[in-house]
Amino acid sequence: MSATPTIAFDPARCDGCGDCMRACASAKSTHGNTAQSRIRIVHDDEAGHWGVAQCRQCGDPRCASVCPAAALAKGDDGVVAWDAGRCVNCLICTAGCTFGGIAFSADEGHVVKCDQCAGAPQCVAACTRGALRYVTAAKLYNRWGELEDLFVPGLGGCQGCNTELIMRHTLRRVGPNTVLATPPGCIPGMGSVGYNGMLGCKVPVFHPLLTNTASMLTGIRRQHKRKGRNVTALALAGDGGAGDVGFQSLSGAAERGEQILFVCVDNEGYMNTGAQRSGSTTYGAWTATTPIGDSARGKAQDAKNLPLLMMWHGCEYVATASTAFMEDFYAKLEAALDASERGFAYLHLYSPCTSGWRFPSASNIEVARTAVETNFAVLWEYRREQGLTLSRDIDDPLPVTDYLKLLGKFRHLDPAQIAHIEQHVAEQAQVLRELAGMRSREGKRIVCHPSDSMAVDLDQ
Amino acid sequence: MNEVVEKTGLLAEPAGKGVVPRTDAVTAKKEPRILVCDGNEAAAWGVVLSRPDMVAVYPITPQSSLAEYVAQFVADGVLDAELVEAEGEHSVLSVLHGAALAGARTYTASCGQGLAFMFEPYFRTPNLRLPIVMSIVNRDGITPQCVWGGQQDAMTVREVGWVQLFCETVQEVLDTIVMAYRIAEDRSVMLPVNVNHDGNYLSNGIVRIELPDQAEVNDFLGTPDVNWHAALDPDRPMGVDPLTGGATGPGPALFVGYRRGHCEGMQNALRVIVEVHEEWARRFGRRYAPLVEEYRLDEADHALVTIGSMAGAAKDAVDAARDRGERVGLIRIKTLRPFPLDAMVAALDKVRAVGVVDRAVSYGWNSGPVHQETLAALQHCRHRIPCLSLIGGLAGADLTQTHFERAIAETAKLLDAPCPREPVWLNAEDR
Repeated sequence: MSATPTIAFDPARCDGCGDCMRACASAKSTHGNTAQSRIRIVHDDEAGHWGVAQCRQCGDPRCASVCPAAALAKGDDGVVAWDAGRCVNCLICTAGCTFGGIAFSADEGHVVKCDQCAGAPQCVAACTRGALRYVTAAKLYNRWGELEDLFVPGLGGCQGCNTELIMRHTLRRVGPNTVLATPPGCIPGMGSVGYNGMLGCKVPVFHPLLTNTASMLTGIRRQHKRKGRNVTALALAGDGGAGDVGFQSLSGAAERGEQILFVCVDNEGYMNTGAQRSGSTTYGAWTATTPIGDSARGKAQDAKNLPLLMMWHGCEYVATASTAFMEDFYAKLEAALDASERGFAYLHLYSPCTSGWRFPSASNIEVARTAVETNFAVLWEYRREQGLTLSRDIDDPLPVTDYLKLLGKFRHLDPAQIAHIEQHVAEQAQVLRELAGMRSREGKRIVCHPSDSMAVDLDQ
Repeated sequence: MNEVVEKTGLLAEPAGKGVVPRTDAVTAKKEPRILVCDGNEAAAWGVVLSRPDMVAVYPITPQSSLAEYVAQFVADGVLDAELVEAEGEHSVLSVLHGAALAGARTYTASCGQGLAFMFEPYFRTPNLRLPIVMSIVNRDGITPQCVWGGQQDAMTVREVGWVQLFCETVQEVLDTIVMAYRIAEDRSVMLPVNVNHDGNYLSNGIVRIELPDQAEVNDFLGTPDVNWHAALDPDRPMGVDPLTGGATGPGPALFVGYRRGHCEGMQNALRVIVEVHEEWARRFGRRYAPLVEEYRLDEADHALVTIGSMAGAAKDAVDAARDRGERVGLIRIKTLRPFPLDAMVAALDKVRAVGVVDRAVSYGWNSGPVHQETLAALQHCRHRIPCLSLIGGLAGADLTQTHFERAIAETAKLLDAPCPREPVWLNAEDR
């Protein structure tokens, strides 16, 4: 998606006043009649909020593809332009557009559509509530969309793996003034450090030992700081390199308060070596080393709760996040980056593994979302000043079985195992509820954030 | 104040911050500062003089007081370095990996079990070509439980690719640590250096030493030259240590290139060690045999081969034997890795029999590691020379002049009788 301009609409800010329609009609129609406005605000009774009908300036505009006269075409400026000289008034375009973005105007005697007023859209200028924004298409998705992508295209990950998404967005936000450590695991396996001379990312990157990521970054960060340079020391580590064999160095660096941003991409096992068990593998899961047989039914122990262990280290910042809730992830990445200027910041990302967990590659985000919505993975945030806060409401979760049934690694579970998992999930949620209820050092009670706080906030 | 120091503006620089170009000018000799200290404190002073950017430490007997001295020097502002009190030796060396890749001159110390725990990053260090200097305060291996001296630790890791130097005296410990940075950072070497000093004997033995002048050491060492080849620096992004090897494609040849370059660096180190020792003697007046010391080999029939601090008592025993008219000498190995083959062959060629005293064992050979090294060197000698293995000083056991007199006597037997295949266990009858 190129960074062409578009008009974004935020339903939460729209009160249906109609100023945008009046401004458009005044600017674009002969008589100023709002019926001729090229933007329409309509109330969605079912959803309970206002919606917008307006040209989206589609990347592959359907109106243009169905036009028999070639009167509609997407220009280099991103605007789908209408050519009066070619139009034969067949109106097929109005049937082609599913957004109501092009319509016949009786006043004009032909179809009309939004042309973004040559870069100064009047509807946006008229909207006093900020429901309409004139932004680039990339910015519509997130405010870092215009930042440089610091990984090369075409990393060699498994089909459907969300780790590439994590890597790209993390580095994009953290930026080029970074030294990246990627210990053995799926991430270097994707080619971040490179195979035989080829390099997968645009920042200096090192392949530490599986065991020493945090201590190696300690040396990096301290030496650069000694030379007066503020360089971000970033780890993208798997759960084994963070919580199992890498835990000693992680714990030591956290205890010393080293200024490191440590991201653990938790796919609950040693996935790039063939899906073996790790300390993060959850109870009952099939792995290559916790197989299903006559006397074994998957992993016999619950996973260790690595982010909570990190919290008790007194880190500057600890949070859990999921790629199904990207805005929440961005916000936490921002906070973690900021905290890493003062001390140790730890970000734990739940990362479903398409091949090791046995689900279709198209389902990754669905699996990630369901994990959160069932409380199987709880999103929370810890700041030294504020303590632990839940990032979304966990009081009314979907049944845990909604999650379990998505994954082949749980296919063998018997009722007793399912009951164990349900109880464990409930216990973990209760522990987090109580931790979130414990109060800040100022004595303020911390309230849970409503889940809609994750909506796109274009103000930022 | 000499001219070199004034020119470089050293006095205006805070300690550890100066960028000091190295010159070949011989500095005016100053009155040395005299210290009375043990080997661990001397090593710590060697570190102070070398002005590393980063020191990472974790205590282990008998190295602990070295870590304490370094920490105290940092606390007192005597040493302006980042001090990382890591949670174990594994992390200690890992911190230095990161620091060196960011351009730091670095130092640490370990021994025994600590070295064993450090092994994973330890055997990666030379392959990354990081010029880290690390003291090994030699300690015997467990089990049985033992916290005392011995060289089993350093001998066990001698194939890993570090330069390994073994000191005889406390003064040599200090001097060698400073020299080690010159060797490690030489662009034709670029390898980590272990400066070994024997646990208990040297680490705890208090003697009088001379402390070289800081400005003269600065001039000798020059600016740290650490990460010109591999850097973790956002200003010149690179992937350090990519996956290399495999059966096909450019991988195997690339991997061979790394291995061969490492071997070449080791061989270059032989020349650089000699040059650096020569310059040290010229500047500071203390001359050490850089590779192999020949002691009283003139017209010797037989000789002992020693390494480390035991050479002191052995030399006394040789002197006593010479006084009795026995034609015996001594060969001390200062540099074990790279192995100084030519120097060793030259020394061995002067005698007709040798007895090698080890403070470690080589399990599969039923002898000592240095004995095995000597046997390999003997292959290149003009004549077949019998070579006896003697093992002593394990686990802190004393190796006295009496022990060495026995060693000389056992070696003398080789002149007239076949060489036994069994080692002589020097402390086996001690009570």
